[in-house]
Parts: sequence; structure tokens; C-alpha cells
Amino acid sequence: MRKLLLLVVAFTLALAAISQHPAQAQGSEPQYAGLDQDLKGVTIRMANIGGGQYEALYKSIPIFEQKTGAKVELVALLDGFAIDQKLKQDFATNAVDYDVAWDHTSFMAQYKDFLEDLNQYFTKDDLKVFSPAIIQSSTIDGKLLLIPRHADISALHYRTDLYGDAKIQAAYKAATGQDLKVPTNLDDVDKQARFFVKGGYSKYGYGMAGKEEALNGRFFEMLFASGGQYLTDKYEPAFNSDVGVKVATLLRGWYKDGIIAKDTPNLVWDGDAANFCNGSVALKLEWYGWYSYFQDPKSCASIAGKFGLARGFTGLSGAGQRPTGWAGAHAFSIPTAAKNKKAAAQLIKFLTSERVAYDEAKLGFLPVRDDVWTRIIADASASAVVLDKQRLELARTQVSEDFKTPPLIAEWIPISNIVYPTIQKVMLGDLEPKAGLDQAASDARKILADAGYYKK
Amino acid sequence: MATNASVNLPSSAAARRSRRPAPGAGRWFPLFLILPSFIFILIVIGFPLIYSLYVSFTPYELLKPKSLNFELSTALNNYQTLLNDPVFWKALLNTVIFLTITVNLEYVLALALSQLLARVSFGQSILRTLLMIPMMFAPVLVGFQFRWFFNENLGLVNNILGVFGLTGHAWLVEEPYGLFSIILATIWMNLPVMTIILLAGTLSLPFELYEAADVDGASAWQKFRKITLPLLAPFTYIALTLRSLDVSRAFDIVRIMTGGGPGNRTELIWTYVARLSIDSTKFGLGSAMSWITVIMSLGFTVYLFRQLVKSRIVK
Amino acid sequence: MFTSSVRAHRRLNQNCLNGLAWLILVLLALPAAWIILTAFRPATEVNASPPIWIPREITLDAFTTMFGLNPGVQARVAVESYMANSIFCAVFSTIVSVAVGTLAGYAFARFHFRLHTASFLALMFSRSVPGIALSLPLFLLFTRLGLVNNVFGLSFVYIAINIPFTVWLMDGFFRQIPRDLTEAAYIDGCSNWAAFWRVDLPLAGPGLGASGIFAFLAAWNEFQLASILTRSNDARTFPPGLYAFTQQFTVDWRGMCAMSVLMMIPAIVFVILTQRNLVRGLTFGAVKG
Repeated sequence: MRKLLLLVVAFTLALAAISQHPAQAQGSEPQYAGLDQDLKGVTIRMANIGGGQYEALYKSIPIFEQKTGAKVELVALLDGFAIDQKLKQDFATNAVDYDVAWDHTSFMAQYKDFLEDLNQYFTKDDLKVFSPAIIQSSTIDGKLLLIPRHADISALHYRTDLYGDAKIQAAYKAATGQDLKVPTNLDDVDKQARFFVKGGYSKYGYGMAGKEEALNGRFFEMLFASGGQYLTDKYEPAFNSDVGVKVATLLRGWYKDGIIAKDTPNLVWDGDAANFCNGSVALKLEWYGWYSYFQDPKSCASIAGKFGLARGFTGLSGAGQRPTGWAGAHAFSIPTAAKNKKAAAQLIKFLTSERVAYDEAKLGFLPVRDDVWTRIIADASASAVVLDKQRLELARTQVSEDFKTPPLIAEWIPISNIVYPTIQKVMLGDLEPKAGLDQAASDARKILADAGYYKK
Repeated sequence: MATNASVNLPSSAAARRSRRPAPGAGRWFPLFLILPSFIFILIVIGFPLIYSLYVSFTPYELLKPKSLNFELSTALNNYQTLLNDPVFWKALLNTVIFLTITVNLEYVLALALSQLLARVSFGQSILRTLLMIPMMFAPVLVGFQFRWFFNENLGLVNNILGVFGLTGHAWLVEEPYGLFSIILATIWMNLPVMTIILLAGTLSLPFELYEAADVDGASAWQKFRKITLPLLAPFTYIALTLRSLDVSRAFDIVRIMTGGGPGNRTELIWTYVARLSIDSTKFGLGSAMSWITVIMSLGFTVYLFRQLVKSRIVK
Repeated sequence: MFTSSVRAHRRLNQNCLNGLAWLILVLLALPAAWIILTAFRPATEVNASPPIWIPREITLDAFTTMFGLNPGVQARVAVESYMANSIFCAVFSTIVSVAVGTLAGYAFARFHFRLHTASFLALMFSRSVPGIALSLPLFLLFTRLGLVNNVFGLSFVYIAINIPFTVWLMDGFFRQIPRDLTEAAYIDGCSNWAAFWRVDLPLAGPGLGASGIFAFLAAWNEFQLASILTRSNDARTFPPGLYAFTQQFTVDWRGMCAMSVLMMIPAIVFVILTQRNLVRGLTFGAVKG
């Protein structure tokens, strides 16, 4: 009898002991991949984006070198636009001397004739781990052009010190008869932004970048959020539709009335973020990557801990509204002129493996792999700052439901270079919205016609 | 002595003497001297020019190697497109305005500064080194720095103005401030160039002319107008030409400060060429635009050269 | 004969002059001072708004990171390569372009020959070609010649770029030197070359100094062609290296300033060494025919 009791107690204790460590039952540590093959003596050359944010990536490379015997040579470290120029020049002059190249969903269509189809090197199982929406955005005509490493999408950033202030709430209620709540559509964004500026509660009501592809992208975003189309399925320009004109008119009003900074037409991402960091802006769409910078009291004392994140707003009232979600993924590609394609594929497999992706995600990048999402959300649950976890859950929702890339055509950038100056001129008042957009549409159409899009 | 005062006065005797071939190598000597220069220029500048002339007659696009084909019927398409492009004309106008103001303003400032520096008695070499500091920064860096200075919300300029109670402006966006901000940054970076040329010229002017003028009781202004300016004229034209044709240095600054925008307000030829040729990959079109600029520079060069030659024949 | 008050008046004028010159040059140097100061600030002060004028602390962080001495940061910038390549290209191209350009300048100044005007014009004209038009064709040509990613190839380009204004400058300076001196040398039996080497060249000191400084600084700061003709750190110079500090969304401004400070050091050394030549004109002015 006593023996039986002892046995039961021991068994119960053992059971209790095991259940304390549930992690052991699952695949606990994030795994590397792509380390299986021996690559001794092989040198893999890579052209990539530089900068301190990519620390995790550069720290992982020696591990790859050690485990496979390969040597990885970083041929160039540049910024996004410089590397796009370099790739274009290299492809044009047949001067590609690297095996792995940085790529991005917005840019890849330009290079499509010069990149390998990665379906040859990655099986369906390999690709299963990545978000299907992103893989689809990385494929043109059945050819997989890149393997994603992290995603970019913008969330609506709003100042909690403004939205939570009782006095401001009362003033808003008095002025509009509605409660002051984080806006969910562009009309409310407009109303609230104007309210903040008029009442002197914030220097600027809204913040946005105003030049180059950034402006074109934001316009594209507001356009599709409002149910409009940039290009039709037949590649006819459609951004000069009534919806497009309404969006352009909205932007013009914002500029004229000082709702956005007067410098906006000369601001790209860093200038735009600096205004938010400085506390001058009440509301804006902003990329997730800025989070740790905004939350750091040493760099952004005015807003650290004083902002919240929300899902992108739907567009101007009308048919076909949907949330904003202009998105893209940074990625790796293999040029067709690469010398060590298989080794390159392996390096890419390693650099996008769970472990490396997890290390990068810890630095603030949005993952493209479900397993990494799960991990970092779990990590964030342990943080004292509630926003840390909220933001990841929000991001995950956005990436899986609101992810929308611009038209995946090579002419996106050339058309962008026509449309963004037009929007700038509309904003500045140099051009009328309808006339300006019509002209831009006709110029864009000419580019597409020359490129053969309308041949029967 | 009279001959020293006639430094650049080709009295007919002196002129005849200078044209007589010097003894020895005679005719070949000068040609040997200029040959190495021309070899370098032909390879580095001549060849690309010819190549880009050829490309300008084709519809070449960077990522479409097959588009590099020449057909007589479409040869002038690029030029036609450009001449009908309002942005091209705006860029051209902006470039002319930019160059004219920059070069002339720089000249006036450099002239004043060089005269000042020539007369300083304390710490001359330190001052000259200090003078050259703006030239030591890469134009890319100067572009970034001035773009930040002129930022409407966070920049130093508006910050300082605010201290004095003046309203700030969006210096890089509003017309005409956009072009002026770029001009300011360019002049800051390049003032040392003209100043040094004029300073070196001033320092090599013969002493005796001034002494003679002093004896005649000339005022400082008269000495400046009648002696310094005319004798500096050759250097002036060299400096003016140098800066006028010095396109490459301005490109980096403009590209970083405004990128030619917003809305083409500060578009210069080179920002437009770069955007067309590389970002939009329309290299044929960009080459055509480069060539139009080159042809115009030729006209400009000939004009300045005539002025230079005239300045050598001093009254 | 000057009375003491005239002398005092002159001294006051001279002091005012000195003061004014110093004031102007200090003002001119202020943006530069800002850049240099930024390199030594703590990272959070760099983009602060309102701007912080006097740094609250001086730190060498930007420099240690650049040299890879910062253990927390893996990605490092190949500063030594950039320095070595930049110094080589700038010095080599300066020496050759000043030498070659001076010879040509002398030819134009002292001699008259057929095609004198046309060739001078051609030289002036060659400077007007924008770098952007040169870069791709040059790249194609140099690939054929095996000169891409090669300090000699880049130097070759810089030599060609610096020749035109060296020629004009030296042409101007040689014309300032009275022909009588050269003629006297010929009468004494000197050959063309000896006259050049012994008589004219020494007197063109300020011109050489100015040309040298411009050639050096032009090569030192050149970005367009360096970025396309160099493809790896074996040949990369400082200006393309500055782009290592640009990132996906932002610019590591402090890092860029730190590298600029580093870039300034050889440039200042070179300038200090050569600007003494500018002064030679003073002694020349005293020479009597």
C-alpha cells in the first residue's frame, strides 16, 4: 500500500516537473538553415544595404562561414536608392560580379530579366515558412525573383498625450459633436488633423514624406484605400480618376492650410520621422522600423511613451474602401550572372532562416515567417511596455490582411518619376489637381505604350 | 623700368619677337608639350563623348540591351522629345539662372575677399588655410549639411531667425528661396576656388606699378580700378570660365539638397539627366540632353575665350 | 616722411583690415565647424531639436566605431582602405596633371602655332562635359582595358579631369612673366627646354601652388566617377565610402561627419604644404628686368 502511494506521488511529482517545462516539448531554439552543405573554398560575394540596423545579419555571417567553410565577401554596402542604381548599371553593362544581391518587391520588376528563378533552388517546403501574401508579391509570371527577409508596412501613429487629454477631448466634442477617437478613415483623419492645428494643440496635424517614390507611394496608398486604382488590369493609368483627384485635392488643402509641414515636398523618410520625433506632428502613417527610435527617450524625448499605433485608416468615403497598407519586403536575389548560384542559394537560405530572422526581428524588423512572428510576440508579452506586444499583433494583422504592393512592373519607377513631381506641383498650388493628374496619366500611358503593354 | 610695367603690353616689337620661333626645336616643341594633355583628354573625355553622341540617337534603355540599335528614321527622336518637354526647358532656365547668379556673386565676393587677404599682415598662412576649409568637404556632405540647416522645422537657420523673432521659411521648397539656398551652399563651398585664383594673381602683380601710382597720388580706389582690375582680368576670365563649366561639383549638392524638386522648382540639367538616364533607365534620352548641354557650353566657351583674349591686350 | 599720426592712422587701418579678414573667415568656417563638432557629439545630440550648440560631452564613439574598435558594432567601415586609395589617387593624379598641364600651359602662353586657338578651346570645352555623361561609357571602356576597380585607372581619369584648368591657370601665370626674361635666356644660349626649366618655371610658383591645390582637392572629393569605377574596397576612395553611412531610411550623420573629419586631415596637410607657393609672388614683384 505504502509502495503504491509512493509510486503515485513520485509519478505525480514527475508529471508536475515535466509540465513546468512545456518548451521542451516544442522545437525550442530557433534554427539555422542552409548549413548542411559543405562549401569549402567557395567565395560568395554579396551586395547589400549597409548600416547599423543590419548588425544581426552581419554577426551571423561568420557563423555561416565557419560551419560551411565558405567565405562571404561583402562587395558593396549602400543605401536603397544607391544600390538600385548600382544594380541597374551593373545589369546594363554586364558587370555583375556578385552572387547575392539585395532586392525589394517594389524594385524587382525592373531586374526581372536578370535574376534567377529561385523556384529552382527552394522547394515548396522551404517556401512554406514565408507569408504566402509576400511570396505571391515576389513572383512575376511564375518566376520567383526573391526570398524575403523582412517586411515593411505602415501603421497609423497617433499621439496619446493629445488623444488622452480631457481638455482636448471636450473641445473636440464641442466643435464637432463627436467623441475624439483614433480615426479609422481618411475623412476623420482630415477632420482631426485640422482640429489639432486650428486649436493650437499641435504644430502639424499630419506628417508625410513628400518627394520621390515615397510621395508616389503614399498617394498610391491613399488612392487604393479610397477604392481607386493606380493602373487598371489592362495597365491603363487610372490614378486621374475622380478618386485620385479627390486625394490630390485633399493633399493640396493640407499643404495650403499648414496641416502638414511646409517642408514636406523636400522630406523623405528621415526628415519626416524627425518631425514626429520632435513632437510636432499629431498623426501619421509610419513604418514599423522606427519604433525603437521613437520609444527611446534619449533620441525622441518629446514622444517616447506618448504615442500609440493603430491599423491603417480606410480612405475617403466612397465605394471600395479598404485600409491602407502600402507594403514591400526587403529580400535577397540571385543574379543570372552569378558564378556560385547554389552556394548563393544556401547563403540566402541561411540568412532567411528562423534563427537569423529572429535575431533581426528582435532589433525591430517585421518578420516574414510565421514561426518568427510567434516567437517575438511571445517575447513581447514579457515586456512591461504594453505597446511592444500590441504593435506586433497589429503588424501581423496588417501584413497578413492589408499587405499591398504597388504594380509589379518595371515601369513603376519611371512612372513614379512623372507622378511625384505632379503631386508636388498640385500640393504647392502650381498645378490644378485634375489638369495635373490628367497630364501625368497621359505621360505615364506613353511610357507604358512604348514598353509594349498595349500590344494586342 | 618701362619693360616691367609693360608686362602684358604687346608693343608691336614685343609681339613680333614672341612670334619668332625660338631657337632650337622650333615648331615641334610646343606640340610636344601639349601632346600628353591631349592624349589624356581624348581617352577620358573624347571617347565617352562620341559614345554618348551615338547613344543619343538610339532609344537605349539601361535594362534593355536590345534597345541599343541605331535606325536613321528614329535617330532624332530623343532630341525631339526633349525639345517638347517643358521640364527640360525649365531645367535649362534654372541652370542658366543658377550659373549666372552663382558665378557672378562668387566673383564679386572672391574679388573683395582676395583684396582683403592680400593686405592682411597678421596670420596670413593661417587665414589662407582657413579659407580653403569649405573646399575640403565632399560635396555630398555639404549637401546633407545644408539640407539640414535649411530644414523648416528643425534647421539652424529658422532656429536662429526665431531667436530674433523673425518667421522662418521652407527654404528649400518656396520659390525663389529654393534656388537661392542651393546657390548659397554652392558659393560657400566654392568661394575659396575663385578667391585663391584671384589672390594668387594679386600676389604676383608687380609692385612697382603701385609705387608709381602712389607717387602720382592715386587713391586706393583708383589704384584698384586702373591697375588691379585690368591686370587681374586674365585671371578673372579663367576663374569665371572654370566655375561656369564646373558642372560636376554642383550636381552632388543639388541632388542631395532638393533632388531638383519640389515639382521641378530647382530642377537643373544635371539632376534631370541623372533621373532620366539612371532612375528611369532612359539612357538614350539622357545622353541627348547631355549633348544639348555640351553644345551650349561650346557657345559659351567660345564667348568666354574671346573675352579672355581681349583681356590680354591691355590698354 | 610720415608724421606719427599718419603712422598711427595706418596702423589702425591695418588692424581694422586684419580684424575684418579674420571675422569674415571665421564666419565662413562656421558651417565647417558645425560638421566637425558633430563628429564628436553623443549620438542623441546630433539630431536634437532645438539644436544643441555646445556639446554637453565630447565622445570619440563615432571614430572608434569607424575603426572597428567598438565591440558592440560588427559592421565596420574600411577606413584604412579608403584613406590609402584616396591618398594614392589624389597625390599621383595631382603630380601628373600639374606636370602635364604646366607643359601645355607653357606652350600656349609662349608659343604661337597652328591650331593654337582651336586646341585651347578644345581643352576649355572638355571641362564642360558633366560627369554623369562620362560615367557609363568610361566604365565600358575601362572594363575592356582592365582598368576598373584599379587605383591607376581612377587616377588616369582624375589626371584628365584636372588637366584643363591646370592648363588655363598656368597659361595665365606664364603670360604674367615678362618675355624679356625668356628672351634673355635664349640670347644666353639656352634651349627651349632649358629656358622653361630654369627661367619661367621657377617664377610660376603661385600658379603651381594653386593648380596643385585644386587638382588635389578635386580628386580628393570626387564622387560620381569614383563610385562607378571602383567596385570593392581594394580601390574605393573616401567619397563613395561616405555612402557606407547611409542606411535604409536614415543617414548616420555623425558617422559621416566623423569620416569627413578624417578626410580633412590629409587635405589640410597638403594645403599647408603647397600654399606657401602662393606667396612667392611677393618676391617676384621685386625683381627688376
